[in-house]
Amino acid sequence: MNENDAFGFNRRDFLKGGSAATMMTMLGGVELFAQTTTNEAPTGLTKVAPVKMKVAVIGLGVWGREIVNTLARVPQADVAAICDTYPAALKRIATAAPGAVQTEDYKTILDNKDIKAVVIATPTGGHKEIVLAALKAGKHLYCEAPLANGIEEAREIALAAKGAKLSVFQAGLQMRSDPQRRFLLPFIRSGALGKMTEARAQWHKKTSWRSNSPNPEREKALNWRLNKATSLGLIGEIGIHQMDQEGWFINALPTAVTGFGSIMLWNDGRDVPDTVQVILEFPGGVRMIYDATLANSFDGEYEMLYGSDAAVMMRESKAWMFKEVDSPLLGWEVYASKVQFYKETGIALVANASKAVPGNAPGGQPAQLDPFSNTPLSHALENFLRNAQDLNAATDDYKASYGADDVDGLVEHLAKIPRRAAASYLEGFQSVVTAVKANEAVTSGKRVELNPEWYELK
Amino acid sequence: MKKHTLIAGHIALLALATLSLQAADQKTTYAARSGSKMRIEGTSNVHDWQVEGSIIGGFMEVGPGFPAEPGQTAVPGKIEAKAEAFISARSLRSIEKDGRPYSDAMDGIMYEKLKASEDPATKKVPYPRIEYRLSELVLKESPKAKEGPYVFDTKGDLMVAGVSKTISMVVNVTPMADKKVKISGTTTIKMTDFKIDPPAPKIALGLIKTGDDVKLIFEWMLAPRKAPAAASN
Repeated sequence: MNENDAFGFNRRDFLKGGSAATMMTMLGGVELFAQTTTNEAPTGLTKVAPVKMKVAVIGLGVWGREIVNTLARVPQADVAAICDTYPAALKRIATAAPGAVQTEDYKTILDNKDIKAVVIATPTGGHKEIVLAALKAGKHLYCEAPLANGIEEAREIALAAKGAKLSVFQAGLQMRSDPQRRFLLPFIRSGALGKMTEARAQWHKKTSWRSNSPNPEREKALNWRLNKATSLGLIGEIGIHQMDQEGWFINALPTAVTGFGSIMLWNDGRDVPDTVQVILEFPGGVRMIYDATLANSFDGEYEMLYGSDAAVMMRESKAWMFKEVDSPLLGWEVYASKVQFYKETGIALVANASKAVPGNAPGGQPAQLDPFSNTPLSHALENFLRNAQDLNAATDDYKASYGADDVDGLVEHLAKIPRRAAASYLEGFQSVVTAVKANEAVTSGKRVELNPEWYELK
Repeated sequence: MKKHTLIAGHIALLALATLSLQAADQKTTYAARSGSKMRIEGTSNVHDWQVEGSIIGGFMEVGPGFPAEPGQTAVPGKIEAKAEAFISARSLRSIEKDGRPYSDAMDGIMYEKLKASEDPATKKVPYPRIEYRLSELVLKESPKAKEGPYVFDTKGDLMVAGVSKTISMVVNVTPMADKKVKISGTTTIKMTDFKIDPPAPKIALGLIKTGDDVKLIFEWMLAPRKAPAAASN
């Protein structure tokens, strides 16, 4: 405030007219990425390609296919096997995984000693059986979120993962591996937003979620998301990611949830709402307002956090800060790149921005600042495979040096190996508790209080 | 009667003497145990760097005179000993000063220089390990305090990136509880001695030139290898 007056300008006007100035983004003070990911490791530093790990994908629906396509671009991935009970699904994705063994029986994958890592993307209800078998077979596991449709099933999965100390278990909450969000975490937690007041998120898409098949049995199986017996609906399959993310930033577990849901457009015999609204209560009066719909696509998917000094918007792998007129200057925002949203000016929050190329178009577009051009899913899968590789290497080294008998020593050693950012079994379990209760609220239209004991993994 | 007892007594004495002579010849074999540490410290024109690993494998076979218990009397001089130690290159990771992981990119360069990465041409890893072979062990001083270390002079061959060099270093041997032994020491080597060109990667900031001298600081934990179960027992 004083600084502003001393220099005699109105900050808001300055920000609006800042395009003429050099648009070199400087986020230098907050160095959060001393460690570069493979994605942005400068080429030419090493001539050696990353070591590949054989991985299998079980479940080749819409998301399973997205996973296979993503793995094709992850340098550490060697997709060695793909599995689905439906032969047509296998054929559909085969070109994205040339050389992968195609199978309808997941057990053949678990028996294959060369395949050390498995990704499970079956319909939610099918996770548990495969997870428990895969952990028993000593595989490293990436299990899609939600882990299960019920709290007890999720607990079984999480406890089994906890007990499998020689394996990596990653829950499919891919945003936890997203470098942009990880970059924001200390920034937000350090109070850059002032006092956190509320949060908001949305997921809007105009789509039916219905798949067709000439075979009625197959059609029922394909449309498991539309049946309340096999699906937690929009809040459980989609909202779970956004609720988990906001809770992560707010740094608290929710205390209560209220919900509503209706079928507004897709009246095709489904019993799962296509439009839901949820209010998730956090300690200190902070609430998250969430809405998800299959009936309208305006503004797509994003998350917001509001504070007394600023708001932050996160969309895909990008983030912007919208400062209040009377909030203290952090200093660097004067130089930062800015983007217009509706009538608001957002300051781009970009990690490692000093590596980006500055753009100087007067009054025009800001520089293309996109050091993290990969999707959160890509980062999550890469981290999963690298964690698995690190654990395998550490296990081999330990056994080669000290013999294979000292299992306790090995477990102790593996516990000290640093892990790349990933959602663990605990986050996977806790997010299911929230999703199940939120869905309860949605289907009953009531407020559900969340007992903190439910979140304890015992 | 008396004559028999005397002969029996002599035989017994002889047997005892032989036994103790055998005991004096006895070698002890130690196997590597968890709890070891290898720390490598280096420099560059940008900042100092450090690398750590926590696994040192191998074994040691020592003759009589090696201090196995704290406070054991030991005579200065050459001790019969054989030892081989190895570190898997990929267990070494660069770290920040506070121990957090530092950089994958730097680790990658390190493995490449150590020839511990897969050679794209042959699809094999040329030298996955750094190895050391002891050739001479000489006790210099006994500890001043009971828990203190025994100081030894050593000579041995260090192999890095496939190149061997004889190095001499002073090591401290500290016998510990339940027959474990800790061997610690520090030595400085030059990368170029092992035909390694100090890495000079070009990054956004410019050219980083790594210093040739690196310091190796290690602690190696060993415990007597359990004897294989004897058939008669």
